[in-house]
Amino acid sequence: MTQPVYILGGYQTDFARNWTKEGKHISALIREAVEGGLAATGLEPKDIETGHVGNFAAELYAMQGHLGAFLVDVDPAFSGLPTGRHEAACASGSIAALAASAEIEAGRYDCAMIVGVEQMKTVAPSVGGDYLGTAAWYELEAKGVEFPFPKLFGRLGDEYDKRYGLKDEHLAHIAAVNYDNARRNPRAQTRTWYMNEEHAKSGGAYNATIGGRIKISDCSQVTDGGVSLFMASEKFAKVYAARRGVQLSSLPRVLGWGHRTAPLTFDDKVAESRGGEYVLPHTRQAIVDAFRRAGVADCWQLQGIETHDCFTTSEYMAIDHFGLTRPGESWKAVEERVIDFGGKLPINPSGGLIGAGHPVGATGVRQLLDASLQVTGKAGGYQVEGARKFATLNIGGSGTTSCVFVVGV
Amino acid sequence: MCAMQRDVRKVVVLGANGAMGAGSGEVFAAAGIPTVFLARSRDKARQGMARAEAMAKSEALGRFITLGSYEEDLEREVADADLIFEAVSEELALKREFFERIDRCRKADSIVGTVSSGLSIAAMTGGRSASFASHFLGIHFFNPPNVIVGCELIPHAGTDKGVTAFVADLLRKRLGRELVVTSDTPAFCGNRVGFKVLNECAQLAEEHGPAYIDALLGPHTGRAMAPLATIDFVGWDVHKAIVDNLHALTKDEAHAQFAMPKYMAALIEQGHLGNKTVDMGGFFRRVGKGKEAQHFVLTPKTREYVPAAKTPTPDVARKMKQLHHVGRYKAAFDVFAEATGPDADLMRRVILGYVSYGLMRVGEVVERAADVDRIMGFGFNWAPPSVLVDVIGARRTVALLEAAKLPVPRVVTDVAERGGKLFDEPTVDLGRFFQGK
Repeated sequence: MTQPVYILGGYQTDFARNWTKEGKHISALIREAVEGGLAATGLEPKDIETGHVGNFAAELYAMQGHLGAFLVDVDPAFSGLPTGRHEAACASGSIAALAASAEIEAGRYDCAMIVGVEQMKTVAPSVGGDYLGTAAWYELEAKGVEFPFPKLFGRLGDEYDKRYGLKDEHLAHIAAVNYDNARRNPRAQTRTWYMNEEHAKSGGAYNATIGGRIKISDCSQVTDGGVSLFMASEKFAKVYAARRGVQLSSLPRVLGWGHRTAPLTFDDKVAESRGGEYVLPHTRQAIVDAFRRAGVADCWQLQGIETHDCFTTSEYMAIDHFGLTRPGESWKAVEERVIDFGGKLPINPSGGLIGAGHPVGATGVRQLLDASLQVTGKAGGYQVEGARKFATLNIGGSGTTSCVFVVGV
Repeated sequence: MCAMQRDVRKVVVLGANGAMGAGSGEVFAAAGIPTVFLARSRDKARQGMARAEAMAKSEALGRFITLGSYEEDLEREVADADLIFEAVSEELALKREFFERIDRCRKADSIVGTVSSGLSIAAMTGGRSASFASHFLGIHFFNPPNVIVGCELIPHAGTDKGVTAFVADLLRKRLGRELVVTSDTPAFCGNRVGFKVLNECAQLAEEHGPAYIDALLGPHTGRAMAPLATIDFVGWDVHKAIVDNLHALTKDEAHAQFAMPKYMAALIEQGHLGNKTVDMGGFFRRVGKGKEAQHFVLTPKTREYVPAAKTPTPDVARKMKQLHHVGRYKAAFDVFAEATGPDADLMRRVILGYVSYGLMRVGEVVERAADVDRIMGFGFNWAPPSVLVDVIGARRTVALLEAAKLPVPRVVTDVAERGGKLFDEPTVDLGRFFQGK
């Protein structure tokens, strides 16, 4: 990377909240995320030179576009701030972070604000499921299909099954670990929900099948959330560290990033990867790119991963794509409890999308915030002991846009 | 016995078919603790289990639950239980009958808890063995316990300190409760503070009408549900039991506000208990369902129901809601503090009365302001008093309390002098307490 990019901190709203029930507009989510982040970092509005919003579909869910402008609304001192909004389905938050970090690397600005936001509980589940279908090729894969995404990620599991074999009990363990981790996270959506491996294995009315092999317990749940994150150049970070009486080296940095886009339809992805080792080779490549840029030889140099478990099958895919096992052998890491909290390489100590929640546009930013909290020992009840380096993987669509960051001190 | 050596491997719940029994049983079973559901009959206990499974949304919960009846199973199940949890009806005589049976068969180190929301904990140990008394305390879950994590723990003067510490640890760590330890004083902390406000609203409804009171003091003032709708939801009989008890047993600055309004007492006699008596209603009555439903509202003075007209929202309430809607909570409370006129005066009287009364209980019912905050935030889903102090501003709160001739709690004066915030739960979003609708 040309210039180091520091992360000064940020703020996550409580993902258990329902902002429609609270009678709130999406601007309230943005405001709470920004005000919370300024308070958490001790930054002043005048410190911020550029703003990026990650959001998937506020035009559909909240009848509101032009979200960048809502940053300016938070404080009179933001008037005139350059802003923009970024969209890449569930990877929208990471795309906003990539844009902000690129600006810092290029030396355009010294301090950037990123906000990931989504308000989804504005509509009935089936309507929301249809909106989410626009993250796929809507006409070909989602139009007239009830809950298209569980079906698409069910097919990811089927593809694993076809190539390597896949047991649903391993998916059940992934669900149980994410819910279990969420209980330690005071901002996780499902922190008080009942879940364990037995329930995840069960069926019936309380754990119905949503599509293909995907049951309720395999799914991340719809929720509302906003997350802010502040990035800075070395010049800014030096002054910031001195002002707070801390060493510059104690501030987390973006060590590396990867960003790849695969063909949009799931059929095209599978056709392209047929005969290869990895089911989603572009996701694998994004990981390899990030590792290379960060100077990380392999996943064992990390102390944890925040991955995109929109469904248990996507976490199953992430395990071998990150290199915890050889391709097709993710089940080994599951059986050996490598991914558990306290395991050799914990995945989603926050609870991930399944446990912490998945307000679509906020997720990538939430992952980066959690990674930076982890590597600075500030993750509280879900802190991974001795964490120095964490990776994030944020996916848009059915494995279409893949964004990876390595964050460390 | 040293608290460190204790464990809870078996819980017995009495009254497991009721809302609180089944809900509490769900909490124990969800933590993976084998739990026995006892009721008058095994069938009733089975109904309780079905309720618990519906709360957990899981049939997998059932593998931690076994069933029994008082007649056939109580003595055998209690004999080797580590925690016996009583959730039968709120009648002292009935509870005492069960405690006598439990006292005869429990093992010496087992803990006995009651979910009672208002009876004196010490009084329940009358006639019991020394061992029973020292292992007895109140464990007050809020309904429904699987959703509402606020919980009060009430040791009486004779409860073993190690037992209290052990149960506190169990509730916090294994059962995920947001716990407050309170004194064994009437209605403990949450209901004492909460029902002071609710009953004051019921009193005010006599002059102003229920629709106006709920519009003025609704969710924009920091609560999930408007106050009189809350009393309808809780049930007028329950409301009466709690405030009559508080009126009889407390003599503090809010004594007058615990006097049950006469119109309510008279309507209770006629069978008006709120939502649980659908046809009779409470402050509000709905006839029919869905789009066909007709809504009526009580006129307390005449004790008649009239069709609910669209009550205009008082201007001060409308402005606060608009600001909450876009997340500008501090600006909303600028309106609260600065608005003039009778609506604003009445709103301030009730809300500041809540802040004052809640924080004045520090030192009497609980040790710290944070305890009142936790139970009001996590038990009642109301903005904790300290959150209101912070959002209004501590100095301005002191000035407003003085202007309203309300006692100024010491903790508020302190924070006004030293600066900073009073609310000390950094993982709680304050915005969740203020609604924009």
